[in-house]
Amino acid sequence: MKKWNRRWLPSILMCIVGVAAILIGVIYFSFISHRIYADSTNHLSEIYGQVNRAFAAFVERNWGLLNDWGDSLAAEEGARSGEVSDRIAREQDYWGFTEFYFISADGNYMTLDGDAGRMEMGESWNALLRNREPVMAGETLSSGQEVTVFAVPVERGAYRDFGFDAIAISYTNADLADSLNVDAFAGKAKCFVIHDDGVVLLSTQTGGNIFQNYLVYLRAASDLDEEDLTQLREAWQGGSSGLLQCKIGGVRYCILYQPVGYQGYMLLSAVPQSAISAGFLTVQKTTMIMLIVIFLLVGAMVIAPIVLRSRSQSRKSRMELQYRERMFDVLSNSVDDIFLMLNAEDQSVDYISPNIERLLGIPVAEAQKDIRVMEKCAVDFNVVFPKEELAAISVNQNKQWECEYMHQNTGERRWYRMTAYHMNIQDVRKYIFVLSDRTQERRMNHQLQEALTAARSANEAKSNFLSNMSHDIRTPMNAIVGFSVLLEKDADHPEKVREYTHKITASSHHLLSLINDVLDMSKIESGKTSLNVDRFSLPQLMEELNIILLPQARAKYQDFKMFVQGAPPEQMLGDKLRLNQILINLLSNAIKYTPEGGRIEFVVSEIPRTSPQFTKLRFTVRDNGIGMSEEYQKQIFVPFSREINSTTNKVQGTGLGMAITKNLVDLMGGIIQVESAPGRGSTFTVELSFALPEQEEADAWFRQKVTRVLVADDEEDICLDIREMMRGTGVDVSFATEGAAAVELAVRAHQRGEDFHVILLDWKMPGMDGVETARRIRECVGGNVPILVLTSYDWSEIEDEARRAGIDAFMPKPFFTSTFWRTLKPLLDDSAEEAAPAGAPEEDAMKGRRFLVVEDNELNAEILTEMLAIEGASCELAVNGLEGVEMFERSEPGYYDMILMDVQMPVMNGFEATRRIRASAHPEAETIPIAAMTANTFAEDVRNVLDAGMNAHLAKPIDMDAVRKLVGQLLRPAGEQPASV
Amino acid sequence: MKRAFCALLSLAAALLLTACGTDGKTGTDGITLTLIGKESDLGKSYMTSVFERYEAATGNHLNVVAYEDSEFERAAAHKFEIGDAPDLFMHFNNADLNNFDVAGNFYYLNGEHWVDDLTDGARAYCQDGAGNLLGLPFWENSVSGCYYNRTLLNELGLKPAATQKEFDMLCQALAETGYTPICWPGDGCAWMPQFAMDPIFADDPALLERLNNNEIRYADIPQMMDMLQWIADAADRGWFGKNYLSTGWNEISPMLSSGEAAMVFIWDTWFYTDFKPGKYAVEDFALMPVFMNTADGGTYEGGNLNMMMVNKNSEKLDAALEFLDFCASEENYNAAFDGISTVNCFKGQTTNIQSKMVTEATESIAKYERVSTAASKIIGYSGDDVVTALNSVFRDQTSLSGGVKLMDDYRIAEARRQGVPQFQEEQS
Repeated sequence: MKKWNRRWLPSILMCIVGVAAILIGVIYFSFISHRIYADSTNHLSEIYGQVNRAFAAFVERNWGLLNDWGDSLAAEEGARSGEVSDRIAREQDYWGFTEFYFISADGNYMTLDGDAGRMEMGESWNALLRNREPVMAGETLSSGQEVTVFAVPVERGAYRDFGFDAIAISYTNADLADSLNVDAFAGKAKCFVIHDDGVVLLSTQTGGNIFQNYLVYLRAASDLDEEDLTQLREAWQGGSSGLLQCKIGGVRYCILYQPVGYQGYMLLSAVPQSAISAGFLTVQKTTMIMLIVIFLLVGAMVIAPIVLRSRSQSRKSRMELQYRERMFDVLSNSVDDIFLMLNAEDQSVDYISPNIERLLGIPVAEAQKDIRVMEKCAVDFNVVFPKEELAAISVNQNKQWECEYMHQNTGERRWYRMTAYHMNIQDVRKYIFVLSDRTQERRMNHQLQEALTAARSANEAKSNFLSNMSHDIRTPMNAIVGFSVLLEKDADHPEKVREYTHKITASSHHLLSLINDVLDMSKIESGKTSLNVDRFSLPQLMEELNIILLPQARAKYQDFKMFVQGAPPEQMLGDKLRLNQILINLLSNAIKYTPEGGRIEFVVSEIPRTSPQFTKLRFTVRDNGIGMSEEYQKQIFVPFSREINSTTNKVQGTGLGMAITKNLVDLMGGIIQVESAPGRGSTFTVELSFALPEQEEADAWFRQKVTRVLVADDEEDICLDIREMMRGTGVDVSFATEGAAAVELAVRAHQRGEDFHVILLDWKMPGMDGVETARRIRECVGGNVPILVLTSYDWSEIEDEARRAGIDAFMPKPFFTSTFWRTLKPLLDDSAEEAAPAGAPEEDAMKGRRFLVVEDNELNAEILTEMLAIEGASCELAVNGLEGVEMFERSEPGYYDMILMDVQMPVMNGFEATRRIRASAHPEAETIPIAAMTANTFAEDVRNVLDAGMNAHLAKPIDMDAVRKLVGQLLRPAGEQPASV
Repeated sequence: MKRAFCALLSLAAALLLTACGTDGKTGTDGITLTLIGKESDLGKSYMTSVFERYEAATGNHLNVVAYEDSEFERAAAHKFEIGDAPDLFMHFNNADLNNFDVAGNFYYLNGEHWVDDLTDGARAYCQDGAGNLLGLPFWENSVSGCYYNRTLLNELGLKPAATQKEFDMLCQALAETGYTPICWPGDGCAWMPQFAMDPIFADDPALLERLNNNEIRYADIPQMMDMLQWIADAADRGWFGKNYLSTGWNEISPMLSSGEAAMVFIWDTWFYTDFKPGKYAVEDFALMPVFMNTADGGTYEGGNLNMMMVNKNSEKLDAALEFLDFCASEENYNAAFDGISTVNCFKGQTTNIQSKMVTEATESIAKYERVSTAASKIIGYSGDDVVTALNSVFRDQTSLSGGVKLMDDYRIAEARRQGVPQFQEEQS
């Protein structure tokens, strides 16, 4: 059994006291109400009793006056009408009646003024004339005026010859109303003089009367039933007084009736009960207000101390609560855990820690309004507080689950372990949620997972790499070893020896390129690669590319073309070596993956400049080869990736080329893109920015008096490009797209005496080719005009015929102003008449050359010696750098044509030896070409070589083609300073 | 269209003459009088009847030119402006008549012998502000007042009111019995307020003149506020019933015939054109004055009468006056109005049908009847505008003074629209 809680005692007592007070008040006011109402009705009866008595007295007086006047009229029978009239008029002025009448027995009347008329007095007529009784009657005059007539019988007399049997006076009802009206009851009382049948004689209220029969009106308008009305009529007919209550039009009335005492007339008054009780109501209202005030004061005196104490305790409790809440808020703000308490019934929020705004970006007010706002931040789940799952948690039990949220504003993700406790707090079921932040833990796990994955990937990549390398290295090695064995076996069969050595050479080259790529990639990926920015010539770059790649393309019968669109600058600053590497990779791949007879285009164009100091070039390599699948395009730049299909499997490659290319492009701050589809070829686009060197003065053309040039090429675009590129030189370019047209132009110019200063002809034109065109032009204009042939083909096979036709020089495509000038200048100079023809065969350059070979490896030295001998050159050996320096210093000027210098050697390395040579007193110390021979092939290695004073870099193992080419470049321009390559 | 109609009437008149000529009552060299009026007015049976009788009796010819109602005012004014004024002209004595230079164009008929035969109401209607009789009222007459259900009042022990106070008491007593005292069709009661306004302006012509001269406004006339106050109080007290704002023309008859409502402010002929008997018939109704707090004894509004006016500049002035003599003869007007339901315009009218309600109230009508003044004499007056203003008050959209101001605004706007000069610029 529950223990009695004393806390409720004061409240119960107060309720009892309150109810008792109300009951006492009701009883008191009921008593007072009845008492005062009784007094009020008595007052009403008294007031209208006085009115009734006054009215009766008024009637009596009028009759009395009439009787007096009747008597005097009888006594003064025969008096002159004028005297009567005067007398009555005086009386009228005194008593205030409206009119005086002489009434005949037949109902006609005559006034004092002699106006005649007829009265309709109804029942009163008999009483007056037959019963000889005084009467009072209502009458509506012919004017429409309603009057009350008082009449008495008199002895028959005559007035103005009008015989009368009664006399009467009348008052207008309005006048009567004024005289009988009662000001009490706020003017809301209606008062009538009625017959006992309800017919209204007059109304004593101001304003008139609209009632004909009040009994009829009560029947229609009141809530009295027929029985009540019958009793009322009987009461009236019995001459009784009475008071009744009824409701008329929603208003409760008191109806008081009293007999006037004459002819069944009643004085009837109808007063709204509210008007009767108005005074009482005022007293009641005032009393009630006073009692309530007293009650409230007493109550306040009793309750105030209780309330004050309660408020004090409440304030203290509230402050403690606020303090605790504040403390908790501060605490929760300093941690990343969120606390939340919900009402289990409706999930309304009882508490939520304010750090929810910081952690999830949800304003506290918004969360308090509807906790489902947290669903906006939920990741991968929709319902944050699933009712069913929460309901399944027993009281005092909990449940945990993981959840991920995203910060509403910042998008930051956080992970929480949510623990839901089902609690019963003061008989109210609550859910308390603790969202423990697990973000750091999760991130750490994630990082560990990523590290693990990365390690696994790296391991896998390493395994793949090793597997690939093992396969790719073993394959050519296997060929080398295998063919070496066969070579030894078939040494006596020259044809097989040539075949085996050819295959060994091919495998060796492949193996070498594989090793180079691997090492290059390793260097790039390790971040040790840097760029060697220097001035370079775009035309020269393209010429070199053409030299390197054209033979490869021709070997596969491919159409290899290079184009320059627009007028890109010819000189710029950049790492030419890396750019070469990028473009060779792309072009080599294009050649490699394009079937025989295919087409490869290399286009260089300038993207509109945004700065005068920089140019941005787009290099496009387009082929119609085998193309690539979309999937492979996504991983084409991944190391060791090769598309596996029937075609690519036949092509050798390390799978590193494109990865190196991509890395180099990235290193140079450019972009590389690829568009391709299987069977539809590929297009690689590389965009790179280069700084521009200061412009050189370009008025050489004018100084050399070259102002008119004729160009003939079947491709009009090339003609237009040339014109565009020559625009800045002041040279006027005319062009023809056919050989015959070019001849015609040249002839006309000659006839005008305005020969072209230079004629530039495409070699292969439809109809008349360049050689024939040159021949015709020479026939017409003579031999003074330099004629050059522009071609992208190897002109060696037609060189003799061309020179016989009058062609002075050849120029590689694409056209560059600088190349044009370089080719043309010797022809213009008097001293250039005997200049060596451009593009002399490199083989000839090797013949008779003497090399100083500085090489510590005996085998390498022997191989090199033999190979140089094969080329028709000779060499002397030095076994280290110091010996090399000494041999050079001892030599006569011009004895050695070139020094081939190993880099890593005992006693003195190649760098030091070169520096010594360059610093020596030998007349050719600064000019002797020195080429490094090293297995270190990175750009840094090349730069180091050049920095040491060497002219070129040759990668080991030595490729004689490269040596031959180098010699052609360094030694061909006899008498000129060698250039770095 | 107009020309075609005129030609048709002329042709009809010609045929009539021809027909008349065949019975030998008229000659072919009679005088031709031109009379112009509205198409709908001239087509009334009593009009054509008296025309026929005139032509038959005199041998003269009437060239009756009828204009379409919508074009009448403009076309007729144009006739006078170009000097092609007719000999006879039919027009109501309303504000539009001011467009015709009354003093310059029309013959004052005060001296004609038939003037004394006109009823007081008809004669008063046809006079200008100076008491000059402008035309012969030859039209259907009516009396507007408060028509009440006498039978119902008797059943309730009540009697009709003779004063404003009594009328208010009567309304209250009726309301107490559960009846709707006054049928007030708030959705279109355009005619009701004008009854209350007649006493204001008919009893004080100077007030009307100043109002029409734009020297004062309704707001300057205390009786206007009295009227509005009474109407608003009556509505508040339930004297118009509960649904008065949505009550329209078609609801009047059912409300009265069923006994739902006891009284209505309307005209006598309505009982013969629109009233449909129910629990109560026409015989149950009687007439008392309208009480709307502007005349203590109440007021009746006389009919709006079409007058036949004589062009005083006409070369055939005598013939035109003789035509009016013909129309005003007891024999002719009784012949023309034989069987027509109308209140008398002539004292000698005996063949017309006059309602019992009007007959019973003859003395009261004679005492309290006023010429229709508000609707016809106030420039820019529109019953619809007044009702709109009243309904704004009923709906508590504006105060009483705001309602009066609305009435003023509407009236002045209409006067400006009509191009009345004195309203074109605000008076200071």
